Amino acid sequence: MIEAINVSKSFNGVTVLDKVNFSVEKGEIVGFLGCNGAGKTTLMRILTTYLKPTVGCAKIAGYDVNKSPGHIKRIIGYLPENPPLYENMNVFDYLRFCAELKDVERKNVLPSIDRVLAECNLREVKSRNIGILSKGYKQRVGIAQAIIHQPQLLILDEPTNGLDPIQVEQVRSLIKSLEDRTTVILSTHILSEIEQLAKRVLIIKKGKIITDNSMDELLRSASSQGKPSLEKVFIQANQDNE
Amino acid sequence: MSKIFTIAKKELAQYFKSPAAYIILIISCAVFNVFFYMIINENREATLREVFQLMEFMFIFIVPLLTMRVFSEEKMNGTLEFLLTTPTTVWFIVLGKYLGAILFYFVMISVSLVYYLILARFGAPDAAEFISGIIGIMLEGALFISIGLLASSLTRHQIIAAIITYVVLFFLYFCLSFTQYTAGTLESVFRHMSTLSHMENFSQGLIRLSDFVYYFSGISICLWLTHIRLTRE
Repeated sequence: MIEAINVSKSFNGVTVLDKVNFSVEKGEIVGFLGCNGAGKTTLMRILTTYLKPTVGCAKIAGYDVNKSPGHIKRIIGYLPENPPLYENMNVFDYLRFCAELKDVERKNVLPSIDRVLAECNLREVKSRNIGILSKGYKQRVGIAQAIIHQPQLLILDEPTNGLDPIQVEQVRSLIKSLEDRTTVILSTHILSEIEQLAKRVLIIKKGKIITDNSMDELLRSASSQGKPSLEKVFIQANQDNE
Repeated sequence: MSKIFTIAKKELAQYFKSPAAYIILIISCAVFNVFFYMIINENREATLREVFQLMEFMFIFIVPLLTMRVFSEEKMNGTLEFLLTTPTTVWFIVLGKYLGAILFYFVMISVSLVYYLILARFGAPDAAEFISGIIGIMLEGALFISIGLLASSLTRHQIIAAIITYVVLFFLYFCLSFTQYTAGTLESVFRHMSTLSHMENFSQGLIRLSDFVYYFSGISICLWLTHIRLTRE
C-alpha cells in the first residue's frame, strides 16, 4: 500500500527527514512513534502529498506522490493534528462539503454522511454548529471527514489529542472498526494507544527510522527486561541511538 | 468543475454567517443611498455616472474587508492543508473562492439597479450608460477582489492581508495624480495603470476593448500569482 524509498525532506537547509525507507501492506495499522520534532508529521504530510520530498519518492497504491498527487488524494483520508473544521458551519453541511470535494458520487453523498454520522456517533449533533461542540465531538467530526469517501489509506495525526478517557476509547474503537477495509497510519504520543491499535511500530528519531518492527516482536524483546511495555521499547530505542 | 461551485457556495454561506458581512452590507448600502440622494438632488440629472464613481472609491475601503479572511483564515485554522489534500486542484480552490467573493460583491452592487428604477420612474436615464457603468463597476470589483485574494494568500494574518490590499488599491486609484509630475513613458504607464481612468470610460457609457484588456489581464495575473502562492504552500 505504501512504499517510501529514501525519502528526505529539508526546510531551509535543515534536514527534517533523512533517507526514510519503509513499506506498509494493505490492511495494516501502523503506528508512528517519536518525540516532538522527530519528523512524524512531515512524513505524514509527504504521504498526503501536502509536502513534496526533497529527495526520494513515496508510492501509495502504486502512485508516486511527486507524479500523481491527484490519484493519491482520492484514495487517502487525512486527519491533521488540529482537525480542519469550519467552526461556523454545522456538522451536516460540513460533511456534505467534504463529501462533494472528495468525489463522492452525488447519489451517495447523503448515504455517506449518514454512515459516518453513525460510525462516529455524531447523529445527535448533526445540526449543531461545529464551533460550539466539545473537543471530543470536534475530533470525531475530523475523523468523519477523513473516512467519508471510504479511503483505502487513513492517515491520522494525533487522533486522540486532548480527549478525555471515554472519548479516547470511542476513537480507538472507531479506528479498530476500520481495520478490515482500510490501511491506517497513526501517530501519537500515547504509547498505550499504539500498543492497543497498531500491529507494527515505526519509531522515528531526528528524521530517521530507528525501529521498524511488529508490535509482538517489540514486546517480546522487551519482556526479557521485566514486564513488557512499549514505553520501555521506546525509551530504549531512543537511548540506543543517542 | 462542480467543485468550484461547491467551494463558492461554501464561501458565500460563510459571508452570510458572519455579522461583519451584514454590517458591511448595511453600511455600504446606507452610504450609497445618502450619496445617491445628494448627487441626484444637486445635479438634477437622470444619470448614475457620479454614483458609480463614488462606488468605485468606496469599494477601495470595502473590498479589503471582504477578502482579507479568504485564505488567511484558512491558513490560520489549518483548513488550507485540508483543502490542499482533497482531490481538488489548486485552480478550483482559487476560482471557487474568487467566485464566492464576487457573488457577495454582486449582492452589494445590486442596489444600483434600484437607483436606476427610481431614476426611470422620475426621469429618462440612458439605459446604455447604466449598463456600461454596471459592467465597469463589476470589472472594477472583480479586479479589487483578485488583488485581495492574492494578498490574503500571502499571509496568515487577516490585518496584514487587508493592509497589503489597501496599499495596492490606493496606489492603483491615485496613481493618475502622479501623471502631472511625470512625462513620457512613465506618465503613460501611470495613466494606464490607474483604475480611475478606466472606470471613468465605463461610467460615461464608453465601452472600450483596452479597458476590458486592462481588467481581465489584472484579474488573470492576480489569480495566477495566487495559484502559484498556494502551490508553493
